[in-house]
Amino acid sequence: MRFNEKELVLLSRQPSERAAELGMRGPKKGDVVKKRLVKLVVNFLFYFRTDEEEPIGALLLEQCRVEREDSQTFSIAFLDEAERKYVFECDTEAQCGEWIDSIKQASYEFMRKNLIFYRTEIHRLTGKDPLEQYGISDEARFQVSNGRPLMARDTSSL
Amino acid sequence: MKLHEKILTHYLSCTSPVDKEGYLYKKKKRNDTYHRRWFVLKANLLFYQERPADRHLLGVIVLEGCAVQHPESDTHFAFSLVFGPGLKTYRFAARDRQTQESWVKALHSASYCYLSLLVKDLRRQYEETIQQQGLGESHPSVSSLKQSTNSFLFTTMQQTAVVREGRSLSASTLLQAPSIPAKMVAKKSPKLWPRRNAYVTPLNGPAPLYGEWPLVGFDPLEDFSTLHDYYGQEVKKAREEWLKSRQKEEDHTDQDLIDLG
Repeated sequence: MRFNEKELVLLSRQPSERAAELGMRGPKKGDVVKKRLVKLVVNFLFYFRTDEEEPIGALLLEQCRVEREDSQTFSIAFLDEAERKYVFECDTEAQCGEWIDSIKQASYEFMRKNLIFYRTEIHRLTGKDPLEQYGISDEARFQVSNGRPLMARDTSSL
Repeated sequence: MKLHEKILTHYLSCTSPVDKEGYLYKKKKRNDTYHRRWFVLKANLLFYQERPADRHLLGVIVLEGCAVQHPESDTHFAFSLVFGPGLKTYRFAARDRQTQESWVKALHSASYCYLSLLVKDLRRQYEETIQQQGLGESHPSVSSLKQSTNSFLFTTMQQTAVVREGRSLSASTLLQAPSIPAKMVAKKSPKLWPRRNAYVTPLNGPAPLYGEWPLVGFDPLEDFSTLHDYYGQEVKKAREEWLKSRQKEEDHTDQDLIDLG
C-alpha cells in the first residue's frame, strides 16, 4: 500500500511533548525488548533507534487498547487481538501513567468526541451552534452520533 | 519507515463512521494522466482503491501538514493537496462543481491539527459560556478543565501553504471553511441538537494531551496570532521558497488536465 512516506517522516520529526526512550517489545512470540525513542505525534506513535533521524515505524493510535501491565509497563493492543500486544517499559510508575493517559487521549476519535461534547453543550447553553461561524456545521465528521450512522454517506460523486 | 498497514486497514473497516467517500480522478505523476479511484476519508486519512468493493487498497494519504487548494477559475473541477516545498502535491479532478466543493471542504477540515484547533477554540467558548452564565465551580466539567495542561497544536507546514499576504492570522481564519460560490450555499437554520444521550461521551479527565508543535513554554490562553509571530521567521522563509516554486508551477499548468486526443 502506498503512502506519503516523506511527509510522514517529517511529521515524526515535529517536537512532541510525549517522547522518551522506552524499552519496546513487539507483539510476536520471540520478540525481545529493545531500547527505542518512542514519540507521540498527533494520532501516531513513532519509534526510532536512538540517534537516528528516520523512524523505524509508525503505529496509528486508533481502535487500540492501552493497558497497564505492571507498575512501570504498559501495552498497546491493536486489531482486537488482545494477545498480540506491543509492550513498553518505562523508567518510573509516574512516567508509565503519563504515557497511558497520553495515548488514550491521542486518537482522532477521542478528539472528535470532545468536539461533539463541546458543540452540544455550547448549543444547549446558548442556542447557537459554534461551528456555524466556520461554515462547517454540516460536515459529516462533526455530527452528533445517536447510535445511528452519523449521516447518510455522501455518494454524490458516484 | 514501516507504516503498520494492518492497523490502518483495520481502522478503515471498523464501525466508526466514514467521513466521506466517492469517486475522484487522481493524477498520476509519471504520465500526467488521470485515473478514477474510489476514495474513503476517515479521520486524517485518505484511502484510495480502484473500486468500492475492492479489498485491496492502493494507498493512503496522511493528511497532516497539507493545504487544500482549488484554483478560482477552473473548468476541470480540479483541486490539490499541497504539502509544501520539496514535498508532494496530490492532484485531483472531480466530476462536477458540487463534488469538487464538497471534497475541498471535507479535506480542509480533515487534519488532526485542524481538529485540535477547533477543540481548543470550542473549549474556550465553553469555559466562557459557563462563566458568563454563572455556572462556575458547580458545573462538574469546569474543574477538570481547569486542571488541564493545555497543549496547543500548531503546524508550521500548514501555515506555509495557507498564509496569505498581509492578513493577520487568527484561529478563526485558519478554521474557516473554504468559500463556496454563492449559488452553491444552501442556508439552513441551526439544527436542533438532540438531548445528550449515552452515546455522546462527556469529558471525564483532563483535556487531551497531544503532540505539540513546536515545544515552547507558553500560556495556553495566549492569542493564536502571538504564537504566529513567534514562528513567523521560519514560516516566512519557507513560504517565500514555496511561492517561488509555485510561480514556476503555475507557468506549467495551462495544459488540458485530460488529454482527449
